[in-house]
Amino acid sequence: MNYQGLEDLELLAKIGEQDRQALAALYDRYGRRVFALAVRMLNDPLGSEEVTQDVFMSVWRRGASYTSKKGKFTTWLFSITHNRTIDELRKRRRDRSRENADIDDHLNIQSGDISPADAAVARYEYAKIRAAMERLPVEQKSVVELSYFKGLTQTEIATKTGQPLGTVKTRMRLALKKLRTALSAEMGAQS
Amino acid sequence: MTETKDSMESNDNLDPRFENLAGYVLGALDHADERSAVENLIENDPEVQAEFEELSEAANLLATSVPPVEPPASLKTRIMDMAGQGTPSRLVEIVNMYQKQGGRSGPPWWRRAFQSGLAVSAAAAVLVVVVGSALSYQNNQLGNEIDTLRANLATESVVVANLQTELSTTLSDSENRVATMKSEIKVMEDDFGAITEMVVHQEEMVSQLGIVNNALRQALSDQNWLTYVSTKEGYQVESWLASNAQQVTSTEPTASGLIAVRIVGNEAVFQVHGLPQPQSGYAYTLWLMGNGDPQPIAQFAVSEIGSATIAFLLPQPLQFYSSVVVTQERVDGIGVDPTGTMVLFAQTN
Repeated sequence: MNYQGLEDLELLAKIGEQDRQALAALYDRYGRRVFALAVRMLNDPLGSEEVTQDVFMSVWRRGASYTSKKGKFTTWLFSITHNRTIDELRKRRRDRSRENADIDDHLNIQSGDISPADAAVARYEYAKIRAAMERLPVEQKSVVELSYFKGLTQTEIATKTGQPLGTVKTRMRLALKKLRTALSAEMGAQS
Repeated sequence: MTETKDSMESNDNLDPRFENLAGYVLGALDHADERSAVENLIENDPEVQAEFEELSEAANLLATSVPPVEPPASLKTRIMDMAGQGTPSRLVEIVNMYQKQGGRSGPPWWRRAFQSGLAVSAAAAVLVVVVGSALSYQNNQLGNEIDTLRANLATESVVVANLQTELSTTLSDSENRVATMKSEIKVMEDDFGAITEMVVHQEEMVSQLGIVNNALRQALSDQNWLTYVSTKEGYQVESWLASNAQQVTSTEPTASGLIAVRIVGNEAVFQVHGLPQPQSGYAYTLWLMGNGDPQPIAQFAVSEIGSATIAFLLPQPLQFYSSVVVTQERVDGIGVDPTGTMVLFAQTN
């Protein structure tokens, strides 16, 4: 069976039947993105491996319960990834055992062994999101970066930036709405 | 074109229902109650739900905007191995078991997704479930361990019972041996007591025989002397005073004595043997009785072996008297009659 040709939902159905090849195919399809998001947030390859492992084991155990009625599979997958990474970030922050990079360090993340084709797509997508982010007011861009990629809470962001809490909340909402408006038309169809 | 300021940034006009929605999507809410409130709104308010889906899509774009990074090949191998083991995480397995046994549908996917990292209260609930299930799992394990321990205990009980039997037998044998030894010791003690008694008795006999022997030796010596004297000087033994002689009585079993009278004239010699020392303040007194009033002849002391020799003149011939008596009388004066204890008595011939 050509697992690479199966849709996400078909692979999930087979995962529900404990088909490890389906899991392998799903990993091949999204493993690099999951790992990249973890690396982007943690700036730690080893910790990112643990996060990626946890995410795909979660898919292995819970994938059968997912249906398309719950939204895009990638939204579900990246939500799991994001939340698992935030857990790790906040744990490390409590332990104060590791320091994260500055807010703009993600711009220097290397793509590693990514294939030329993927790298080209990534550069294209990243260029678009980078452009969309650049079009945001710097205060809105900052709250998105601090919350989504750094794992800071609203109150922590307000304290860090000296902004009122209500303003932080409003800027988060506006930033997301603008990003969606700017990018969804081009990237929404992609997984 | 880059905006530097958004005219709608003010929080004044923000619908309170949407106030924390972006923070929820970005994982930036501070408290569990905030997250619960947002989740309730998403479930019950279609407008909030629509806004949530819109913001979630934007957050998804943020994730997909990150350039892919190739993870190490070993990561895939590790994940596939864990999936092959079937039970990569006991914790999650217990949670899944609980969910299946609960028989009710779980929360929406988005809630479950956010639960994992954001909802502390939900996490606490899961922890309660996990702890409960883990305790159940532990109970099963403990039950198995208890069964094993019981089996081991049964085996050990048999061993202990055998040891108790052997110990009981050994103790019984020892007790029997001790009883036998005690009996033997008792016999030996009795024998020893009897022997000791015999020795003491023999010692007493030897002592008494020694005294008698000395007395007899002295008596023999005196008798020889008296025989010599009587032959040489004309005396004859007229009366014997002895404890074993007929018609002689004495309170002292070892005492004996005699009176020798000169054939011509009224001279006499009295000898006594085996008398104990008189009591303090008293002395032995020789009496001639049976011829009118008692005739006190002399008071005398005895040697260490109870002997004494007295020479005296008979007031009248000895045959005029019926008996010879020795008593203990006070030293400070003799009465007309003997009043003290009589130690020797003999009738004259």
